[in-house]
Amino acid sequence: MEKRIVLPGERIADGRINAPNTYYRENGTYTAVIGTLDNENRFVPLETAYKPFVGDTVIGMVLDVRHAGYEVDLNLPEGGFIPTRDTKITLQLGDFVYCKIKSVNEVGDVDLGEVRRLPKGKIIEFPTSKVPRLIGRKSSMINMLKERAGGEIMVGNNGYVWISEKSDIPLLLKAIGIIRAKAHKSGLTDEIARLLER
Amino acid sequence: MGGQNVQLIVDGKRLDGRKPDEMRNIRIEAGVIPEADGSAFIEWGGNKIICGVYGPRECIPRHGANPYKATVKCRYMMSPFASLDEHGRSGPSRRSNELSKVIREVFENLIIAEKFPNTQIDIFIDVLQAEGGTRTASVTAAAVALVNAGIPMKDMVSAVASGKAGDVLLVDLGKEEDNFGQSDMPIAMSHSDKNIQLLQMDGLLTKDEIAQMLDQVEKGCDELNEKQADALKRFYERGEEEKFEW
Amino acid sequence: MDIKDTIMSHVRRDVMNSSLEKGVRFDGRKFEEFRPIEIQRGPIRTAEGSAIAKVGNTTVLAACKFDAVTPFPDRPEEGVFMVNSELLPTASPTFETGPPDENSIELARVVDRAIRSAEIVDVKSFFIEKGKVLGLFVDLYVLNHAGNMTDAATMAATAALMDTKLPKIENSAIIRGEYTGMLNPKSIPVSTTFVKVGENWLVDPTRDEERVQETSVTISTTEEHVCTMQKRQGYLTKAELLDNIDIAFKRGNDIRRILKG
Repeated sequence: MEKRIVLPGERIADGRINAPNTYYRENGTYTAVIGTLDNENRFVPLETAYKPFVGDTVIGMVLDVRHAGYEVDLNLPEGGFIPTRDTKITLQLGDFVYCKIKSVNEVGDVDLGEVRRLPKGKIIEFPTSKVPRLIGRKSSMINMLKERAGGEIMVGNNGYVWISEKSDIPLLLKAIGIIRAKAHKSGLTDEIARLLER
Repeated sequence: MGGQNVQLIVDGKRLDGRKPDEMRNIRIEAGVIPEADGSAFIEWGGNKIICGVYGPRECIPRHGANPYKATVKCRYMMSPFASLDEHGRSGPSRRSNELSKVIREVFENLIIAEKFPNTQIDIFIDVLQAEGGTRTASVTAAAVALVNAGIPMKDMVSAVASGKAGDVLLVDLGKEEDNFGQSDMPIAMSHSDKNIQLLQMDGLLTKDEIAQMLDQVEKGCDELNEKQADALKRFYERGEEEKFEW
Repeated sequence: MDIKDTIMSHVRRDVMNSSLEKGVRFDGRKFEEFRPIEIQRGPIRTAEGSAIAKVGNTTVLAACKFDAVTPFPDRPEEGVFMVNSELLPTASPTFETGPPDENSIELARVVDRAIRSAEIVDVKSFFIEKGKVLGLFVDLYVLNHAGNMTDAATMAATAALMDTKLPKIENSAIIRGEYTGMLNPKSIPVSTTFVKVGENWLVDPTRDEERVQETSVTISTTEEHVCTMQKRQGYLTKAELLDNIDIAFKRGNDIRRILKG
């Protein structure tokens, strides 16, 4: 498949098509971010800024413990909140949690539920636009990483990634670094497989 | 302006040997600051400028947040060692404050800020070495950094100055042409619709001259757009970090 | 400073501790090892000397600039030497705009002391005439902060001084763009920063390691002497300090070779 890189302001369709990271003007749909365009005019963004959506899973750190609940840093402009009434577990300052977004209000405050506390593990920040590649088609990439490096990995849609201390962390960091740098390139899965085999 | 004692055009050539419609050598690199959400470096003649973009991130102070869209902030600054003359003062000056404002107003037009209410997008520009034309180079670099950060924009933008010296219309003024020429008109133009996004001017020009200069700028901006696209493509195609000279 | 950095997460700290117990740094380095170092000489042509030092992804630019200035009243015959630093908000999400904060001032002063103590800039030779001396201003620009700014800044400053040309002076004014020779620093100070995480001492910390450090200390050395030290947070024992000084001399020699090119 022929793919070329296009910049913001490239006309990709006549009329209005509903695609994220595009916008509509003068009877046409235009790209709003850098991405790749294939010969069937399918646009895949290379860089995007993440906006929290209901149902997304995110990882965050407990920033403040209050009477009504826990304030959670999601590494986003929006702050997360876990209402005490919705959760049975007790959390501490500095805990990392894996949870689902229950609601997002108009000022961007994010209510979280289905909270799991993450045990000791390596936390890294990963670009949100490349999270789908880290997970892979039908979780193929993430499963391969877990299998070969011998431990659990959790990925939040907000870009925080948690790696269990049981896994080979330096090897995984190297692999994730390559996925980050070559997210849009073909042959990535093979390259990662080769790296993990050694 | 109008210091006619300096001969800026000799035999149709400029002081540095360029033709009137010729730009200086320009090199753009994307993604040079790994810690930033997006970044770019531009070497434009003797100018060396870095730009880092952060955001959308939490608006500080919080009461300054706009509930309808992201707030775009821009800070342009000149390093104390940027000029061949004496050691400058660090920190903002009247000049840098004005340039920060006019550059911000370029990107306020182009960033689709409605997507990220209550947040801010920061554009930081540092001039490491200056040789005339830093604001146009800054706009050109900032556009690359914003794309690198994944900030949604309606269009690409680039900028170049047009001017007049020795009664000849010139594109991309150097330091002497800027200081001793008859007129200077920096312009930023969005790429696909050719709208004017930044416009300043000093000196004296006729309407006809301005029309001609606009055409020169348009041609220059097309050339710059190719260099911007090339820098971004190289960044995404190489995939891995590659050494480059600052 | 980012709020996230002020809360030291036990999740981040504990995993690093247990990894270090097994002798493993997350980037695969040995405890006493520096990240790869690159020096680019003379990137800034508007300054009399300049260099960019890259330690891993931490990048610092140093530029040296001369001016004719009035001497300090208590040292009327001596030139002025001054180091300033800018933690550009361009370089890290944790840096803010505004006047230099305490970290920025500390960075500049630690580099300043290393250079002053090593006596590599002879300010007595900067005298021009009564009431006028040369001032040498070293500006440190942090271009990307990925941990251990101090060592990168010292390397950049030293490399910039090695690149610095002495300006030509006529009628007690500097003639820009004309030079009479090189500054030729006599010795090369090198700083080595150590952090303690759990029970382990690490050389050249990354941002990750700095985030969970308990103690941080910088030891700068010349070929034969310790020339400046700076302890930041935490404490250390006498034995730990003396051990680290040994390592600092060893690392100093490695880095001096790189700086000499």
